[in-house]
Order: sequence, then C-alpha cells, then structure tokens
Amino acid sequence: MFSYLIRRLLYTPLIIFGVMLLTFWLFSVLQKPETIARTVLGKRATPKAVQEWLHTRGYDKPTFLAIGPKKPGQAGEGMFDTVFFNEMRKLATFNLGVSDVTGQELKEVFQQGAIPSLLLTLPAYIAGFFMAVGFALFLVFVRKSALDTAGVFACVGLMSVPPMVYIIFGQAVIALTFNYFPAFGYEMRSWSSIRFLLLPVALMIVINLGSEVRLYRAVFLEEIGQDYVRTARAKGVSSVRLLLGHVLKNGMIALITYVVAQLPLLILGSLLVENFFGIPGLGNLLTSAIQTNDFAVIRATTFLTAILYIIGLTITDILYAVADPRIRLS
Amino acid sequence: MTRAPRILRLCRAAALVAASILLLAGCDNNPQQKPWRGKRPDGSPWTHPDGSPWTVFYWYIPDEFRSLDPQFMYEEVSLRILEPVQDTLLEYELMETQPYRVGPCLLEKVPEAVQNPDGSVTYHCALKPGVLYHDDACFPAGKGREVVAADVAYAFQRLSDPAVQSPFFSNLSDYVVGMQEAYDAAKKAGGKLDYDTMKVSGIEVLDAHHFDLKLSKPYPQILYWMAMHCTTPVAREGVEYYDGQPHPDGPHGRMKVREKFAFHPVGNGAYQLKEWVRGQRFRLVRNKNYHTKVFPTGGWPPEREAVCRPWAGHALPLTDEVQITVFRELLPQWLLMRQGYLDSFGAYKDSVNSIVTSTKVLSPKWAARGMKLSTSTYVSTFYMSFNLQDPLVGGNKKLRQAISCSYDPQGFIDLFYGGAAPLAEQLLSPGIPGYDPNFKNPYRFNLEKARRLIAEAGYPEGRDPKTGQPLEITLDGVATGAEERQLMEYMQRQIEQCGVKVKVIENTFARLDEKQDQGNFQLLTGTGWGADYPDPENYFFLFYSKNFPPAGKNVSRYKNAEFDALFEKMATMENTPERMKIIQRMNDILVEDVAIIPEFHKGTYIVSQPWAPRVQYNMLLDGGAIKYQPINPVMRARLQPLWNRKPQWPIYTAVAILTAILGYGIVLNRRRNV
Repeated sequence: MFSYLIRRLLYTPLIIFGVMLLTFWLFSVLQKPETIARTVLGKRATPKAVQEWLHTRGYDKPTFLAIGPKKPGQAGEGMFDTVFFNEMRKLATFNLGVSDVTGQELKEVFQQGAIPSLLLTLPAYIAGFFMAVGFALFLVFVRKSALDTAGVFACVGLMSVPPMVYIIFGQAVIALTFNYFPAFGYEMRSWSSIRFLLLPVALMIVINLGSEVRLYRAVFLEEIGQDYVRTARAKGVSSVRLLLGHVLKNGMIALITYVVAQLPLLILGSLLVENFFGIPGLGNLLTSAIQTNDFAVIRATTFLTAILYIIGLTITDILYAVADPRIRLS
Repeated sequence: MTRAPRILRLCRAAALVAASILLLAGCDNNPQQKPWRGKRPDGSPWTHPDGSPWTVFYWYIPDEFRSLDPQFMYEEVSLRILEPVQDTLLEYELMETQPYRVGPCLLEKVPEAVQNPDGSVTYHCALKPGVLYHDDACFPAGKGREVVAADVAYAFQRLSDPAVQSPFFSNLSDYVVGMQEAYDAAKKAGGKLDYDTMKVSGIEVLDAHHFDLKLSKPYPQILYWMAMHCTTPVAREGVEYYDGQPHPDGPHGRMKVREKFAFHPVGNGAYQLKEWVRGQRFRLVRNKNYHTKVFPTGGWPPEREAVCRPWAGHALPLTDEVQITVFRELLPQWLLMRQGYLDSFGAYKDSVNSIVTSTKVLSPKWAARGMKLSTSTYVSTFYMSFNLQDPLVGGNKKLRQAISCSYDPQGFIDLFYGGAAPLAEQLLSPGIPGYDPNFKNPYRFNLEKARRLIAEAGYPEGRDPKTGQPLEITLDGVATGAEERQLMEYMQRQIEQCGVKVKVIENTFARLDEKQDQGNFQLLTGTGWGADYPDPENYFFLFYSKNFPPAGKNVSRYKNAEFDALFEKMATMENTPERMKIIQRMNDILVEDVAIIPEFHKGTYIVSQPWAPRVQYNMLLDGGAIKYQPINPVMRARLQPLWNRKPQWPIYTAVAILTAILGYGIVLNRRRNV
C-alpha cells in the first residue's frame, strides 16, 4: 500500500499540471487578458492604460511558451517566462495572488468563503447520507412490493428533474407561497440564522437523494441475498435488526467509496444553490468570477479543486483497503 | 401498558422532528437584516425626536462591486454604493432630465469659465463651508474633518498617479494643466507620485474653501466631469490609513490587517458605509452631519406632485438606512419583492411577462397590492454598426440604407425589454441637448423602400447580378447563450427580407474585440454607448475619424470630412442655438450615411412598493438619488404580514403522507414476512 501511495503522490503534480494546462488553454481561447483589462478598467480605458494593467500583472507575456525570435515590445525573458509558468510557480507555493477584478487577497477570500460553503454542504452531506440510507433500507424492508417499485420510480423521477427545477420549486412554492423560509439571504449571527440554511440544505439533499437511494438500495439488496443473512433469519433475527445490524453494517463497505470521495469537495460549496440563495460561499465566488472574467479566481479555484479531488480519491482508496481486508492496493 | 414497537416510535420521533423543523423555520421568513438602530440601548424602539420610526430602504445590486476608490472606479455596480457615500463637486439636478443639467453639490455654485489671454480657461470654484467627512478611524479622535480645497488638489494628484491606474487620466490630462507633467514626473521617479512635491499645477488652492481649476483650452464638458466621482475631494488621511497592511490596531496592540482604501471609502455623502459582507450585502447609514443638499422645492412634474410636495426643502437623506443586497439571479429578487422584503425591482426579460400586461400596464394582481410601475430610460443608445472600410457595405451607401430599411428593432425590444426601451431614431438619446423627440429616421423599417433601395444599390431583389445568387452579408455578434442566438436569428430573418442572405457569425467576447480592433466584419450587432455625461460630444466622438480602434471607439471606421469639421467645432461650444444647428446637421449626415442602424435606448420597467414611491427619474444620478427616497414604514409594517401568511395544511399533509407510507410499509413487511 505504501508504494501505491508514493506512486499516487508522484502522479499528483502531473495531474494538476494537466488540469491547469487545460484551464489556461480554455481561458486563453475564450477570454484574452486584454478583454479582462477592458472590463476592469471600463469603456474609456485607453490602449496605454490596458497595456499598463496587463504589465503590472505579467499578463503581457506569452501564454504558454516563448518560442521563436522575440517580437519587438514582447515582454518576458526566456522561454519559460510566460503567464502559465509564472502563475504555476506561484500556485505551487500556494500563493493564490489577488483577484484580477477587485484586487482582494484570494487567500482571505477563500478563507471567508469556505465557512458558508461548509455550513451549506456539510449538513446536507451528513443528513442526506442518513436519509438516503434510511430510505434505501425502507425500500429493502418492503422489497419486491408495489411500494418498492413506486419508491424506485420516485427515485428515478427525482434523478430526472434538473437541479434548477428544485431550486425554483423551493423558492417559489416553499419560500414564497407557503412563506416557511426566507427565499434568499444568509447571515451567521445567532441560532435563528439557521433559518437561512434550512431550505437550501433541504434542496441539496433532495437533489442528490434519488441517485443515492437507488445506489444504496442496490447495495443493500445484494447484501440481503447473501448466505449470512439467510442464516441470521433462520436463527430468528427480526427484520429490523437484520437490516440495521447485518445488512447496513456490511453494505457500508461498498458505500465508503462513494461517500468519502465527496468529502474534500464539500468545501467548494454548490454553484447553483449558493447563487440562487445568495450564500457567499466558494460556489458563489466562482460563479461571480466566471461572470466577471476574473481569471485569478478561476485558476485558483481550479487548482484547489484538483488537489481536493485527488485527496478525496486517495482517502477513498485507503479506506477501502482498511475496511475490506480482501482488498490490496498495489 | 405495552410499548409501541421500536420502528413505530422511531417514525413518530422522525415525524415530530420534521414538523418541528418546519414550524421553527416558519417563525420568520424575512431575510433582511434588523435595522442598524432598531432599538435604543434600553431596548425601546429607536425613533426620531418627532416620534417617527427609523426607516430603511431595501435595495439591490446585480453583482459584487469592484472598487470604491473614486479615482479608479468606473462601473454601474460600484457607483450604486459609492454615490450615496461620496458627494461630488457638482450634481445632476434631480428633477431636470429633459435635458439633464448639473447643479451645485459640494461647490457653492456651478463655476463659470473665464477665458485667459493665452487661450487657457480658468474656473473659480468655491466649496461649501462646513461639509464634514464621515467620522472614521483615519481622522484624529475618529471625528471627520471639514472638506477643504486641498482635498480636490489631492484628488487630481491621485488621478495623475500611475500607481492608481485611473482610467480617467487620459481624458482629463488633455485639458487640465499639469496633470501630464505630474504623471511624467511620477513615472520618472519609479512609477509612484510623491504627493508632497509633484503637484498638479492646474489646481491652485487659494484658501481652505477656494480653488482655481485651469484648463489648457476651452472644454465646457469639464462641468460634467465635476459631477463624476473621479474629481471628488478625497481625504489624504483615508487613503494613507487604509493601506491594506498590518498595523497594531487589534486588541492589546495586536497586528491587524487594515482594509484597502478601495474597500473602505472615507466619504462625505448623505450615507456612511457601515457594513459590507463580501458578495452579500451593504449597509449604508444616515450621515447625521449631512447638510450639503436638501429636497428640491419645486420643478417636479405634475404626476409626482403628491409624492414630492410634502418633502419640499426637507433635510436629506429622507431614509435613515439603506440595505443593499447582492442578487446575481433575477428570480429571488422578484420573490422578495412579492413578499415585500425589497422596495424596488427592475424587471426585464423573462420576469416582464408576469409583471406587465400586453397593454404595458402593471398586472392587476400587483396593482391591487398598491405596487406602482414606471419605466427608466438610460442615457444610452444601442445600434448595429456597419464597417465603412469593408469593400462591400462600406462603399455602397444605398446597400446600407436598404439593410437599415429591412430591419425592425421593435421585435428585439419586445423580446428582451418587454417593450420598455424606446425605439431609437437617432444616435443621441433622450435627455441630451440636441436630441429631437420629433425626428423620424428616413431609413427606419420600410420593406417597400428597402426593396427599391437594394435595386438602386445594384442588387435587384438582393441578388448579385454577376452571379445571380443572393448577395451574402456577414453579421457578427457575441453568442454565449440561447438568448443571443435567438436574437441574432431574429436579425438575420429581418434583414433577409430585402433579399440578401445573412451569414451569422457567433463570436466569443475576445474574438469580437479582436475583430473590432482589426475592422474585420461587415455588420456588427450589440454595439452601443451609455453616455458618460449628457453632451452630444460624448456621442459624436464615436464617429470622429481620429478615433479609429484600437485607440478609439469609432468601431464603424466612419470618416466624413464635413462631420469631422463640425465635430471639432461643436465639441467645445456652449449649448447655444448655433451649436444646436450644428448638432442637427451632424445627425442628418450620420443618418443619411447609415454608418449605424439605431435600435433602441435601453430601458427597463421599475416596480415600486406602495410604501416606497418613486420620486425621481434621473438616470445619471442613480445611487446619488437614493438620499431623496422616502419610505412609509407604517404602511410597510401593515402590509408585509398580509403578504406573508403561512398555511399549516402543507405540513400536516406532508407528515400524514410520510406516516401513511411508513405504516403501510410496516404492515406490508409483517404480512409478507420477508
């Protein structure tokens, strides 16, 4: 396992390099630094002002590699003195820099945004997991009945509806027609502030519920067909005890892969839900960055996401090996 | 007594928890913050000396602001926050919008130009005495000091400081004496201006309240620049204090990072920025020392008499507090408006249909609540641009005229602005001196004329006589979503009515920028101009031949010797009848040459709550007008609960359904024993 982890660790910089290369390439196709400068400086900005803005940020250098003879007026010294390599050097030391649009320190912005994101995603993640397991167990409890079929149908239905529809339903019906929750907003001052999070958290649970219940149900159904379950039932174990004590316990091994991989990504929040409910998390930050062409925020977010994703996958692999002694990482 | 089975107990507990969560949440659905001074220290409601309650106006912005540095910031979102906080030397007169006119604000009166023998011009300016900066930690003992003439000189130094990167520098340095010199000196000294030695010689401080502003040549538009934030006086203490560096400000002298000046304005306006939560909200609170302006004592149109009359001469601001929420999506904005938690709402695109009827009045459902509908027309004009250097469209005026006659922008206006934006007949927009409301563009939509003109252009029925095939014209635009695509298809269909074939080219922003700079297009959609200030010069410079891209904004690459000569003449004239004649002539030249196809002046519907009547329509004031906004808190307190009733039946129904499913499941399981 040790050698596996070392190999994984060695892959990490390569994967991140690839991700960043792709991000830079996509962004250089879609949005040139000149366009960002013009957006930031306003419609009256002169070419000279634009040039100065680019120069202060080092965006006047070539994007990837400075190959070929140097053109007159071209910035940068040497082949690797380019936007990509300079920014990668900074990111490698976790120097996230400042926002292109507002000039705020990104480290600070990310620290501020991580808390609201976690307050939204962590409860949704925990409660969602328990609810999905509960519903899945219930479906297994009534398996092969009309209720089970209806449950599976409902899950497929839940999966088929786009997240936007849930958000609009939540805001238009639960928040507006029934007036139970605030339709928008966020604050963290006292316990009553929890009211801002209840609806978005509930919606995030519902958005993922269908697919999770189906997956867990399949896992539990596989377990319930095993010999040890039949033996337990023959020994007179009750249905409830059978499900909670045997099926759930053994089924959890299969669920770990799915559940833990998501854990590090929770910090990034949710693009849609945060945006629609005005929760100032990292998802909201990214949406705003995309809208305002804030390349600094976009590349820092991509970088962090790539790292967190790799961490998530590695933890999953380790846990998988720990939970199931039959699995050997090599 | 027998205990219920464990599963039943579990279900009961779950139902109880679910119900209690719903009920707990049902306590309050108001997302807005409690007023800044909702209660006195002893817990009693905070009121004014006359017993009236502390009033709050709930407003919105569509995105986070970028900067609140008056010498740097230049976009609408930031302006909404900065304008209430920072007064300008001059201010647009609230009630005068046809045309717009500047009046005094921090200055005692609008200064007049004094011609000097050497051709330069001097403006003698006098600041109102006793105007104070907001109380702030950057001042001794935290008490705001008086605004003085040296602060104006400091502002002009900041405009000339390369480190500030002011986008206004290049415009102002052409006229204000000494700005370029200060900039060059700073550049030589390593790119940073020394504020003690490198002065802008065009600003002469005479005493605490008087200063002279010297221009190298006549430029009447400088008065409009005085109504912008770039020339507003700035407290040097504020800029130097809020440096974004760590200082021993924390408890027990601990190091604490101070905000940057760009995020902590030290203003002198009617409101002070008291709270800013990133990406979320702002709270502006009344400046108790504010005496710079009062509510106008007249000049309002008859239909606003009832709203404005009671406030005539009243001290400002009329509302104690403004809470501004950042909404990036339209839907939640409208929801909060319907619940009464927002006081004003700008409706456009999809939301218009549910708010405005086909006859362009407020839907009866909202009218019954007392909401009011009005329209706002921005000082802007949007148009399609021809490339006058293109061999095909550039060299054939009749062809351009034919295309113009085959395109009806009304469909676009209805589709995207719900009919709120007025159709543009000319380049100038309403409110600009020289705008003629009765002018009818001879090349407006007229299919018969289009067919005649296209034949005269040498392409009968839109076909190229050489090939016999329809003539192909390219139409460039930005297409980032379905809406833009839909719009460009509409334009394509319209123009093809004259027989030509239109090839739509969808571009990214960056690509279109490049094409504009290179002049690599035939017909371009999505071009337009929002006026910086209400002067025809600010529109006509877009077609001055010395302003070709990338340095200038003449995207059409329009070149007409007569137009250029007239532009040079009118640019620095006062608004005399002679200037109006020149403007008419320039308009006629532009219309006849069809360098552009005018589409519309941007406009939106504004819905106002019954307790927050709209008093003004001044689109150049925007955030600066918020101090004139009255609020009736009593009416709000009465109506809000009526609009936010919480039915109980959905909770009971949900709990009943869940319990029934659970119960049925248990019965099923027991019966089958699986």
